Formats: sequence, structure tokens, C-alpha cells
Amino acid sequence: MSAATVPAPPSLFRRASTALYLHPRLLLSLLLTPPLLWLGVIYLGSLFALLAQSLFFVDEFSGMVVREPSLNTYRQLLTPANGDVILRTALMAGAVTLAAALIAFPLGYYMVRYASVRMKAVLYLGVMLPLWSSYLVRVYSWKLILAKEGIITWVAGKLQLTWLIDALLALPGIGGPSLSISYVGTFLVFLYVWLPFMILPIVAALERVPLSLVEASADLGADPGQTFRKVILPLALPGVVAGSIFTFSLTLGDYIIPGVIGSSQPFIGQAVYLHQGTAGDVPLAAALAIVPIAIMALYLTVAKRLGAFDAL
Amino acid sequence: MGTEAGRPDIRAALWLSLEVAAVSTGAAIVLGTLAAAAVWRARFFGRDAISLLLVLPIALPGIITGIALRSAFGLMEIPFSFWTIVIGHATFCIVVVYNNVLARFRRSSAALIEASMDLGADGFQTFRYVILPNTASALLAGGMLAFALSFDEVIVTTFTAGQQTTLPIWMLTELVRPCQRPVTNVVAVFVILITLIPILTAFHFTRDSHEAAGSGK
Repeated sequence: MSAATVPAPPSLFRRASTALYLHPRLLLSLLLTPPLLWLGVIYLGSLFALLAQSLFFVDEFSGMVVREPSLNTYRQLLTPANGDVILRTALMAGAVTLAAALIAFPLGYYMVRYASVRMKAVLYLGVMLPLWSSYLVRVYSWKLILAKEGIITWVAGKLQLTWLIDALLALPGIGGPSLSISYVGTFLVFLYVWLPFMILPIVAALERVPLSLVEASADLGADPGQTFRKVILPLALPGVVAGSIFTFSLTLGDYIIPGVIGSSQPFIGQAVYLHQGTAGDVPLAAALAIVPIAIMALYLTVAKRLGAFDAL
Repeated sequence: MGTEAGRPDIRAALWLSLEVAAVSTGAAIVLGTLAAAAVWRARFFGRDAISLLLVLPIALPGIITGIALRSAFGLMEIPFSFWTIVIGHATFCIVVVYNNVLARFRRSSAALIEASMDLGADGFQTFRYVILPNTASALLAGGMLAFALSFDEVIVTTFTAGQQTTLPIWMLTELVRPCQRPVTNVVAVFVILITLIPILTAFHFTRDSHEAAGSGK
């Protein structure tokens, strides 16, 4: 079979492959075009549509949406009712973020520094499983847990601690008739649901703090408190900021949790949902949705300064 | 389970959720892998902007994706359909696949690819016999997580579904106005089981690294 020694002309595949190898830009654009079309056109396009909608306004007499650019809708945002909604949501997001950081940091520190391999795996799974299991089911279970006939009230009753819950619920502003109908309840559920988003970046950041730096600090005469403040905390801070981006942003936009558990005072998400749905005022819904974008843009700018993106 | 399986409304919702999750995951796997390959290999102008664009759908609150898509559908007068739900879901599923695959790419050695080329394989053969086997488990893990995420998603869906009912939307109506608690409990357990299987599978495939970590929702 001497004919086999004659090289066959390169197949179409091989020529295409060579062409791509010789023109890396062509390969790059082939790789990038589909995802960019999707995210650039559909996602960014929708965000621009949102911006456009927020500049329209609803005519007061006819109730129809007028498709002309104006700032009428943004003026509506400044009314006390809408201002309250924005302030309430931002305060809740801030409180949840702060509490999540206070709980997540010691836990993350324990996981990285002290936990055995086995314990660490258990804790890690304990953080990840709730993160990825059904959001609605978790909210539903919390509704049952916090209800007046729920397990918390029952345990408090058995331990003769009902007065503690009553005192908590009697607090002006954040209290209410029962845990599931108060800001305390909303806060607890937000904290539970978003806590993994704070723990994971903090663990990642703490794992990157070299032990040698901690030892060097001790060798140079710093006491443990000083080492913590001057060495560990600054190095782990980007992780905390990265986590806070998630907890803050997720709390700002959530409308399920305050709707299911909490007093009837609306949050931004609920207001957006109500306006676009039954009220049919899409421009106001769009303008309200711009508020979290603006807050997050500000937040992300500060976070970038603090180096949080390397820890994401 | 008997009650649940016998209820046509729940069965239809479950079926719709599974279909949406399957199609969105498929789209996300293709788009996320392409994006990861582009960001991994090349240094080009606007690379940071593109990675920001990919993360944006999960860095911004879900309600923004939802209301933005709804505004766009409204302006272009696109009626709500199966595909409007899929568009919303695929948008935030892309980043999950992207994160998983990019992490794997970064850990795999470029020398393997060069060796394959040196031994005479063309680009497609290298992809088929070297790159794909190396990244298959990361792809599977990313796909599983994307599936779980889509199956469970409710915030974006309420804005893009119109009158259609996915399983999470059915549960949400039950949560707001409870009228059949025993059935809801059954559905809740069922949903946990369906989402737990892909998550544990994803863990299994990424257990020696913490790739799935921080991929976020």
C-alpha cells in the first residue's frame, strides 16, 4: 500500500483549526460574540429599557402611560411615603449587613484557624447546603418557626422566657403582635438567608492571610489584640466588604421575605412589584428600581477602592 | 406524594419549572463556557468590563433583572411566554457556569494543550480529547448548580412569567395566602429533594477544590 504515503489534502476541520490558530483575534471574537450578544443586548438593553421607562410618567387624569421623557416620576419618589420606603429598606439592609459581618467573622475565623479538617468540612457543608437549597422553602419554614404557635414561642414558654419575647416585641418601632409580624422577624429571616454570602468571602479572605505574618507580628512584640487589629483585620477586610456587597444588595431587592414575614410596611422590592402589577404604574416601579441600582453603584465604587473585587 | 401527583395544577407547574430549568441550563452552559474560555486565554481591551458584565446579574438585586426585562418586554410589546421566563433565568445562570468553568481552566495547565498541539492534534481534537475531559466535571457541576438555581428562582420569574405558574410561583401564592398547608408541606419537601440532588452532585465533582464556593446566587 504505497499510495498511503501520499499526504492527503488537509481536511476542512484541520484547515479551520489552523486558521483559528493563526488568527487568535478571530477565535476570541467567535468565543465572545454569543455571550456578549446575550448579556450586552438582552441584559444591558433591558437595563436601558428600565431607565427609559422611569423617564415616562402616568398621566394623572387618563391613567395612561405617557411616553415622553420627563422627571415627573422621579419627583414622586421624593414624596414622604416613597421616601419612607427607601429609608426603611436601606436601614434594614445596613442592619442585616452589619449583623451578618459580626456573626460571620468569628465563625470564619474559627473555621480557618482552629477547626479540625473534619469539623471544617462539616461547617462548610453546613454553610453551603442552606445557600443552595430552596429559598422559598426556607422562608416558608421560618414563617412556621416564628409564628405565634411556632417553636420559638413554645421553647420560650417551657423555659419561662415568654417575658423576653414580649419585651422584644414591645419595643417601639421594631416590635409587633408576634415575631412573624414584626421587623425583628424580618431581620432574623434576612440574616439567616443571606449569612452564607458573608461567611464564604470572609473564609476565603482569612485563608489567604499568611500565618508567617501573624507569627512575625507576635515575634516583634505585638500582643494578640494588636496582631488582630493591625495585621489580620486589614488583610481580611476585602472579604468582609465583598460579603457585604451581597448581603446589602440582596436585602435591598428582596420582596418575598418582607411580604411573608413582617409588618405590612412595604420595602422597595414590594413597592416595585405592586406598582408594576396591580397599579399598572410601570414608570414609578422603574424609577423605584433605579434607587437600589444607584445605591449599589455607590457601594461598589467604595468597595472597589477597598479592594473587594479580588476577594469575590 | 399521592395528593401531589394527582393535582393537575401542581403537576403542570412542576413540569413547566423542569422545562425552564433544563433549557436555561443548556443556554447557560454554552454561553458561560464560551465566556470563560475567552476571559481565560486572552488579554484584550475591555476584559475587566466583560467580567463585570457577567457578574452584574447576580451583583444587582434580582428584582432589577426582573423589572428591567419586564420593561423591555413592555416597550417592545413582546407577550409573556415560556421563552420570556427562559431569557430571565439564563441571564443569571450564565455566571454560575462561568465561575465554575473559569476556576477549572485556571487550575489546568496550559502545557497540556501545547503538548497536544505538538503531538499533531488540531484545535478541535485538542478540545475534544484534552480540554473537554479536563473540564467536564466543572461543566457538570456548574450546570447542576444552574439547574438548581433556575428551578428554585421566583423573584425574576414573577416579572417574566405573566399568567404562567412555575412551581416556586405556586408556592409563593400559598405562602402569601395559605389555604392548603398539608399540600404545601408536601410540595416543600419535594422541592428540597429536587434541588438537593443536583447540589450534592455538584459538590461531589468539585469536592477537592472549593470551586463552587462564592459562586453566589
